[in-house]
Amino acid sequence: MRTLALACLLFFAPAFAEQGLTSMLSQDYLQIYSNFQGSEITVFGALENSSDVGPDSLKGQIVVVVRGPDALQTVRKKERVAGIWINRARAKMWLPSYYFVASTAPLANIASGETLRRYELGLNNLQAEVVASDGSARPYQAALVRAQQKSGLYRENPAGVEQQSTAFRVHVPVPASVPRGSYTVEVYLFRDGNVIAAQSTPFYVDQAGFERRLFEFAHQKPLYYGVATVLMGILLGWGSTFFFKRS
Amino acid sequence: MEIYLPIAQMSVHWLIVLGLGFGVGFLSGVFGIGGGFLLTPVLIFYGIPPGVAVATTASQIAGVTFSGVLTHWKRGTVDFKMGLVMVIAGLVGSAAGVWIFAVLRRMGQVEFGVQASYVILLGSVGAMMLNESIRTWRARKEGRPSHGRSSGQHHWIHGLPLKMRFRQSRLYISAIPPVVLGFIVGVLSAVLGVGGAFLMVPAMIYMLRMPTNVVVGTSMFQVLFVSASTTILHAVDNFTVDVVLGMILILGGVFGVQFGVRWGAKLRGEELRFLMALLVLAVGIGMALQFVLRPEDVYSLSGLS
Repeated sequence: MRTLALACLLFFAPAFAEQGLTSMLSQDYLQIYSNFQGSEITVFGALENSSDVGPDSLKGQIVVVVRGPDALQTVRKKERVAGIWINRARAKMWLPSYYFVASTAPLANIASGETLRRYELGLNNLQAEVVASDGSARPYQAALVRAQQKSGLYRENPAGVEQQSTAFRVHVPVPASVPRGSYTVEVYLFRDGNVIAAQSTPFYVDQAGFERRLFEFAHQKPLYYGVATVLMGILLGWGSTFFFKRS
Repeated sequence: MEIYLPIAQMSVHWLIVLGLGFGVGFLSGVFGIGGGFLLTPVLIFYGIPPGVAVATTASQIAGVTFSGVLTHWKRGTVDFKMGLVMVIAGLVGSAAGVWIFAVLRRMGQVEFGVQASYVILLGSVGAMMLNESIRTWRARKEGRPSHGRSSGQHHWIHGLPLKMRFRQSRLYISAIPPVVLGFIVGVLSAVLGVGGAFLMVPAMIYMLRMPTNVVVGTSMFQVLFVSASTTILHAVDNFTVDVVLGMILILGGVFGVQFGVRWGAKLRGEELRFLMALLVLAVGIGMALQFVLRPEDVYSLSGLS
């Protein structure tokens, strides 16, 4: 739905030609190394003046959305059974594994609820197909948003777009637990509640170097990985006993 | 100082993890226990997903146990035949345990399964130990001999078929009890990430009537193989073994054990057992509380699905 809307928007981009928007990222490939503690990428952009419309063309509100790869996520609900809290019902849903939205003003002041939902702007406007085992899907999605907010993977910053005349800048926080995969950065320019320009840029997050090789090893050759882990553990444990014999 | 765990896909403070490994190693040095049953809950408390905690603790146990087996081998205090029977049963048990674990995971009940087993196991073992240490303490105060256990116990084990001769242990008994024991310990290893020595050692002494001098070496021999196989099976079936986490824990563990052994030598046996019982009970009660108290949020997102 959202992708379709964006595709249409980009397809008809020439229609917005008089109002230009350019943006770029501080980096398009984020690598996770062993000392990774989270990071930040910066989205830079500028509104392009068009002479025939005049300075008015530079007015508008900017919304920047960063989405991680969609993932099938499971939310479980605990119920009290015989005095014990235990997982009972569950819901599965496809939602982005990372979501960040920043804007120049609170989203509700920028566009109508319907428009925000169409472009999935804002944590309450994410559209997901939720399959819940006990019928009511809504609380599960809300719980997922809460959990992801807590772990820093979902964030909304209504004052996150720093604007100076025609240039703007957004700092996108990347927590340590950021999932790997391909991300998109979408920049929207709103005026009078309508999208008048949009741009989408991809970027990638991946484990790098040693971590990446370990992860791939563990998933592609799990038997060798398991054996190697045991052997390394034995060597390490055995080796360190010599340390004590000397001292 | 944070370090990224490639399988758990999260960052941890490596000094804290090293400290956890050291602390648990220290306690196992002091009390002469494996420590797996402490390490897994501690890792879960710290925020490591239960699946990763269980599987990775198994690799830590294998790493820390090996040098102990070597020492006992050199001293000739390993009954290899008994060990082998228990290893084979243990391997079958650990395969069954890993399978149970995978089923629990599909049902979304790993957390419950692991924690519930811990509550039952730690609760009962802790209560038994506490009871025993209080009894010994009382007996000592009243000047009675501490072990009231009579030697003329009912030997139902001797009536079982499939008798085997275990020369090192100077035993001629049925293979069934060691097989059952090995199997149970294998299942526990896979589901709880424990070595199982705290269950096996008393069972070998009181049930199988093995001579005390070969009990520890033989149990270590079994624990080594079973925890190695548990690690490998979890790596293959569940992808939950984190090698980086495992290595840090082993390093902390081996150093902790060395210090623990030295420090533990200063304490009296019954003081040790009393403290140990309190520790075991405290971990068990801590886990039980998580079941009984209303959770902060009844909804939870399952990780690593």
